Amino acid sequence: MSGPLLILDGVAKRFGEVEALTRVDLEINPGQVIGLVGGNGAGKTTLLRLMAGVMEPSNGTILFGDNPVSTMRKKLGVVPESTGLYSRLTAWENIRYHSRMYGIPDDVAWGRVSHFAEMLEITEALSRHTKGFSRGMRQKTALLRALAHGPDILLLDEPTAGLDVTSARTVRSLVGQLRDEGGTVIYSTHHLAEAEQVCDRIIIVHNGTIRADGSPKELLEVTEKESLEDAYVFLTSDKARTRTEDDVKEGKMAKWWRRFLTGSTPGTKYSDRMISVQEVSEDE
Amino acid sequence: MSNSWRFVTTIAKKEIIEFVRDWRTLLALVVIPLLIFPALFIALPLLLQSEAEELDALELEIVWQGSISEELQVAFSDSRLNISFEEMPTDITNLSDIGSDDERLRNKETTAIFRLQQDDTEWKFSVLYLSTSEASNEARNRIITDVNDWERSVVNGTLVDAGLDPEKTLNPVNWDGDSSDADAATKGEQAGLVLSMFIPMVIAIWTASSAIQPSIDMTAGERERGTLEALLCLPCSRMQLLAGKWLAVAGITSAGVALQIGGLLFAITFLASASIIGIPTLSAASVLLLLGAIIIFTIMVVAFELALAMKAHSVKEAGSLLGPAILFIIFPALFTQVINLDGVESWWFAIPLVNILLAMRELLLDRVIAEHVFVWLLSSIIYAGLAAWFAARQFKREDLVASIS
Repeated sequence: MSGPLLILDGVAKRFGEVEALTRVDLEINPGQVIGLVGGNGAGKTTLLRLMAGVMEPSNGTILFGDNPVSTMRKKLGVVPESTGLYSRLTAWENIRYHSRMYGIPDDVAWGRVSHFAEMLEITEALSRHTKGFSRGMRQKTALLRALAHGPDILLLDEPTAGLDVTSARTVRSLVGQLRDEGGTVIYSTHHLAEAEQVCDRIIIVHNGTIRADGSPKELLEVTEKESLEDAYVFLTSDKARTRTEDDVKEGKMAKWWRRFLTGSTPGTKYSDRMISVQEVSEDE
Repeated sequence: MSNSWRFVTTIAKKEIIEFVRDWRTLLALVVIPLLIFPALFIALPLLLQSEAEELDALELEIVWQGSISEELQVAFSDSRLNISFEEMPTDITNLSDIGSDDERLRNKETTAIFRLQQDDTEWKFSVLYLSTSEASNEARNRIITDVNDWERSVVNGTLVDAGLDPEKTLNPVNWDGDSSDADAATKGEQAGLVLSMFIPMVIAIWTASSAIQPSIDMTAGERERGTLEALLCLPCSRMQLLAGKWLAVAGITSAGVALQIGGLLFAITFLASASIIGIPTLSAASVLLLLGAIIIFTIMVVAFELALAMKAHSVKEAGSLLGPAILFIIFPALFTQVINLDGVESWWFAIPLVNILLAMRELLLDRVIAEHVFVWLLSSIIYAGLAAWFAARQFKREDLVASIS
């Protein structure tokens, strides 16, 4: 397929009254490793979920080629932050379950998986139940699961979060190899240094908007800063919004009941406290 | 194989494999349903019988206070009651007044105290005992049985002395022949009646309760363990996901119910071999409709429970929702047992849950009434469809993804 793999046009996402993403326009081209960088609650995961086609945008369109991405999930490989492995199944059974859902014969899936499994040094563990797996092993298994059907785009949500140095390095090497083989990877992370090391293109997400989009070099040029960290701080200098996910999760009945019992809304207490701390600091 | 069917069967297969890999699940799913009826109908009566025999063989110490009857004394000895004779206490207002004997019974110095007093031609008696002690109860029962026999003997002697035939005097009206021969219902039909009193209830309660755990595990459990997001990223629709999970829960639940019915049939066959109960006689139409009723009921209950569990954000919340929901099954199930099936109005067969339970009762009596069948079949299909629609709504909710932690 020539041209962009994924096109996001005026994409916005609201959860009730909360605007998680505001007018996002992006084009994802093949053969790139793209880093989504932002703090907690910036909107990275929502953006990834929209790109994965498991959520519909409130406004705008997300196309994979000429089709809505939700109808093209077969072309995507996703590793959510939670990895999503079944503990009573072996690592291979987890992978095989997903590859069967993609209509891939077991021997074909095994052929693809064994290649990467060797690189991740996990081949022997594939026959073990995932119950006792470390975070690193789980992450590697989830990566193999996402690669088994040969996706056009690999979406990784915080793939190195909670990993030890060696495991994180192995994951980054795998991403590098995928790029070398012409694969497309979208990689969300908190860590700017990691993004700088792995990604060809960095998209900085803050308060639900795209603040910058370009190669590390371009970001430095645009912001006229000497380090990416300085550039990031410059681009996200406005105060981060408080997380409102709890509000979205809570049902109407539960909200009413909590208000009845406590007379407060989540966040109110804490934001009040934050304001008062600020006021105290200013007073001092 | 079409894509849809492949998705549904792959999901169902994985859910079942994962579910049965837990030995606790296997115990709850296979062993308990299979053994519950044989345990209830065979092992429990055998245990009770052996306990009763053990109690029968006991020699019990009793105290006899007051007047003596030699005939009764012999009867007590034959009943393995060892007697110690005492004077009647003087500080009592009547023979049932325990007075100072209370402590002796509580301390188990004796199992029972028999008091007998003769006033002219009249005998008065009482048995002091401790109702919380099995031995004391047994002693009391033996004493009362012997006293009743002795009373009969005294009455018969009085009647004979007066020149009367005791049998004709005391039992002037008698049933002629064997009363069980007078029942037009066959043994099989009688067995059907007995089974209709509890099989629908058992099926309803067991289906509802055994579907709870897999429903929660495959929905709120997935959400809590963080596996749902990866699942939602797969190239299948939410409806296919629901269908796969429904098939798995229905399969697990049906296996439990089938094993329970298997255990029940085994128990019935065992009891039938001992001529305690007959084997129910059911026509092919009744059997088929019975199976249909169970399937529709399972569709409805499983869809409803999956929907409720999917509504919850955590396993704990799902348990709080589904636990009380079982009452909605238990109450109609109990209520249905008291509805008289003779001349029952057709509208009863349109009430949710009650309709299926009534249908099962009627079919176990081998009554296939076209009008009733039409009403319960149609209404049940509508209710099952509504439950499936409710489940579909829950599975399509967007916050299913948004609220994954």
